[in-house]
Amino acid sequence: MSGLFMKSIYKSFGNVPVLKGVNFHVQKGEVHALLGMNGAGKSTLMKILAGDLSANEGTITIDGADYRFSSPADAKKAGIGLVVQEVDTALFPSLPVYENIVADDIVNAKRQPLLSRKQQKQQAEKLLEQVGLSLPLHKPIQTCTLHEKQLIVLAKVLSSSARYIILDEPTAALSEVETKRLFQIIKQLKAQGVSFIYISHKLKEVKEICDRVTILRDGIVVHSGNAAQLSIEDMISHMIGRSYERNEKAKRAYSDEVAFEVKQLHIAKTNTTVDLQIRKGEIVGIAGLAGAGKTEFAESILAATKTSGEWFIHGKRYTFSSPQEAIAAGICFIPEERRKQGLFLRETVRTNLTVRLLPLLAKWQWILRKKEEEVAQQLIETLRIHPPFPHAIVQHLSGGNQQKVVIGKWLHTNGDVFIFDEPTKGIDINAKTEVFSIIRSLADKGKAVLYMTSEFQELLDIADTIYVMANGRLIRRFAAETTTYEQLIYYSSGGGENGSNNALAREAVSS
Amino acid sequence: MAQTMLSPVKRSPLNFLYKHGTLLAIFVVIIYFSLTLDRFLTYENFGDILRSISIVTLVAIGITFSLIVDGFDLSVGSTVSLATIASAAALVLYRQEIFVTLLVPLLLGVAIGLLNSLLIIKLKLPDLLATLATMYAVNGIQLTYTKGFSIYNDMPLPDGGTAPGKFIPSFLFIGQGEIGGIPFSVLLMLLVVAFTHLFLTYTKPGRLFYMTGENREAARLAGIPVNRYRTYAYIISGFFAALGGIVLASRIGTGQVSAGASFLMDGVAAAYIGFSVFGAGKPNVIGTLFGSILIGVLLNGLTMMNVPYYAQDIIKGAILVGALALSHVQKK
Repeated sequence: MSGLFMKSIYKSFGNVPVLKGVNFHVQKGEVHALLGMNGAGKSTLMKILAGDLSANEGTITIDGADYRFSSPADAKKAGIGLVVQEVDTALFPSLPVYENIVADDIVNAKRQPLLSRKQQKQQAEKLLEQVGLSLPLHKPIQTCTLHEKQLIVLAKVLSSSARYIILDEPTAALSEVETKRLFQIIKQLKAQGVSFIYISHKLKEVKEICDRVTILRDGIVVHSGNAAQLSIEDMISHMIGRSYERNEKAKRAYSDEVAFEVKQLHIAKTNTTVDLQIRKGEIVGIAGLAGAGKTEFAESILAATKTSGEWFIHGKRYTFSSPQEAIAAGICFIPEERRKQGLFLRETVRTNLTVRLLPLLAKWQWILRKKEEEVAQQLIETLRIHPPFPHAIVQHLSGGNQQKVVIGKWLHTNGDVFIFDEPTKGIDINAKTEVFSIIRSLADKGKAVLYMTSEFQELLDIADTIYVMANGRLIRRFAAETTTYEQLIYYSSGGGENGSNNALAREAVSS
Repeated sequence: MAQTMLSPVKRSPLNFLYKHGTLLAIFVVIIYFSLTLDRFLTYENFGDILRSISIVTLVAIGITFSLIVDGFDLSVGSTVSLATIASAAALVLYRQEIFVTLLVPLLLGVAIGLLNSLLIIKLKLPDLLATLATMYAVNGIQLTYTKGFSIYNDMPLPDGGTAPGKFIPSFLFIGQGEIGGIPFSVLLMLLVVAFTHLFLTYTKPGRLFYMTGENREAARLAGIPVNRYRTYAYIISGFFAALGGIVLASRIGTGQVSAGASFLMDGVAAAYIGFSVFGAGKPNVIGTLFGSILIGVLLNGLTMMNVPYYAQDIIKGAILVGALALSHVQKK
């Protein structure tokens, strides 16, 4: 019985079932896509296969032999390879290419003598050839590009003679040319009998490279079949399950006056430029998958990373070279990594809330404690921060309340532009509702709001205008009241490129 | 969901130890020495202890500033030495009056702080390594300048004559004088402690120093000029080390080479012990003062008990480990 079978896999974390009897079958020499929304159970299933987690129930059979993995090393021995999304975590940055590739051989060489340097290099060269990479063997990993690193990890996986290789979002950070090259290598290896499990949100690529597809939803396999017979629209509808209703929310009124504009704003990471206008009181949403460049875009607007371009706030032109300048001109930024980038965790709520207000609260540089306390108390009440004490330490607050503190520090600063990067990440539904109402009230006061997220339903709920972002570019613009969830997924996952002519695309054009 | 965080801080013995362990240690040490040593609990001896503490405290306050911005300054010991030599040289070799004698070492301290911040902020060297390099270089500079010899009144010069200047009374007053029965250096220390404490706790720049150290990325994204504050911190560190060097030169009345070396570890220990005072869990000036009191009292008592100076380092190390453990366990 050849092929890889995972049968009736059950897994729960505490009381929360994540996998509810999943059957997953990969044939020899095929590329098999594993699809699903965030939280569908893909990662858990793959962690079980890679020996990172063990299942509560279920069996794993590989080419006729039964396995029960208790560590990643077990899985490796059985022929499972994993190319993680963050390739840097799998490499030693200061060691040369060849030593990285044969690292596992060296680690596993318990009794047999170590490979000589010459043998190591020969081995590495052979493997590099297999993944189509020609590199000086002595090049240190830290000087390699991301694409090269990925292929080196692949070579490393092949060196442990893996027959089933998991690729986790392999193209998230690759350019189109690099993606094409990767696909070629996948095809070559496939011809040699290697199987791939391909995890991706980019459905267009899935159509292009994958033979078969398994779709997970809420821990259950909802579809399994040939990739060729499944359209991107069908994939989406399997992934999200119910068909989302067209958004019925009332159209918000906002001014025609442009409050904020960037022209030719350069995003260093993707080497693209972006133009964007936000009107007074308008909430503009940016829909994009992880790796689409949203955070880089936001940090470029704040000039927190190297960038160039022109900024206009209420018609006045600026060129910023530091966050300090951007903030002084009225840009407020609520970063994605709240604990790392937005909070002073061991300080009090009061200290966190008043960091931007100190010039107003200080006389001759002396902070007027009483006034500061009042301002903090007032913000706590407006934002309904719990516990409602200015002296509470921020790290003891829940995620939602922490987020309110991050937003709160900007509320009284007279900023004109608010940028939210994934503001609902890791907060519960009530806090989300409250964050939304804060955002709406900001817009109602005439602020320009930019809202970036990979949770597209949120954009339909809150935004007036939605742009789809992919590879560092804004590729589509929709009015929120006429677009659908499927459309946003379709375009952000790479659909509609090359002048595709299907129903969703036509809808987009007409709207 | 939030009920647990509303409950008041637990009043367990362990918590008491976290908060007041350091003060308790000082108290116990004083009681012990008072009972075992006849001459410990005397006015003269306490004057001695305070005088020796004053220099350590000045140096340790500088270190506290560098710790507040999440940095580190290993070069303070060398800066103390250089400042000692510089003020002695100004007085003895160049016959300068009090103004220049104070200005030169302080400017040198500021220059060393600037150099450190250049290495750490512009060249992005790790703070420990950059200040380690500065420590060596500055120590080398003061040794080269003096060719390894101390500078003292009426010292013979290479050309056959004697040095033209001497330690003038106004300079000696800094380390040896008294106002109303209290040593001037102690008054100076208390003044600096009060001023820096108020500055760090109650003013806007003080707040921003702390925020820069607490989370540099968040501070930057909130528009705080973090690199400017880090630069200030190293300059302040250099300044206070130089001030400590001046007090040292005045107290011993000569310019001894490498006299400041021991102040680095004592200062670092005082600042870190300060983390645990009142359970602050972060660098703070009042804690630093108590840290150097603990070290000063211990050293004084041990010396009176005839414990050799090299064995005293073992006790210092043990105290530092204890204080670090107190503040780190508490963090978790």
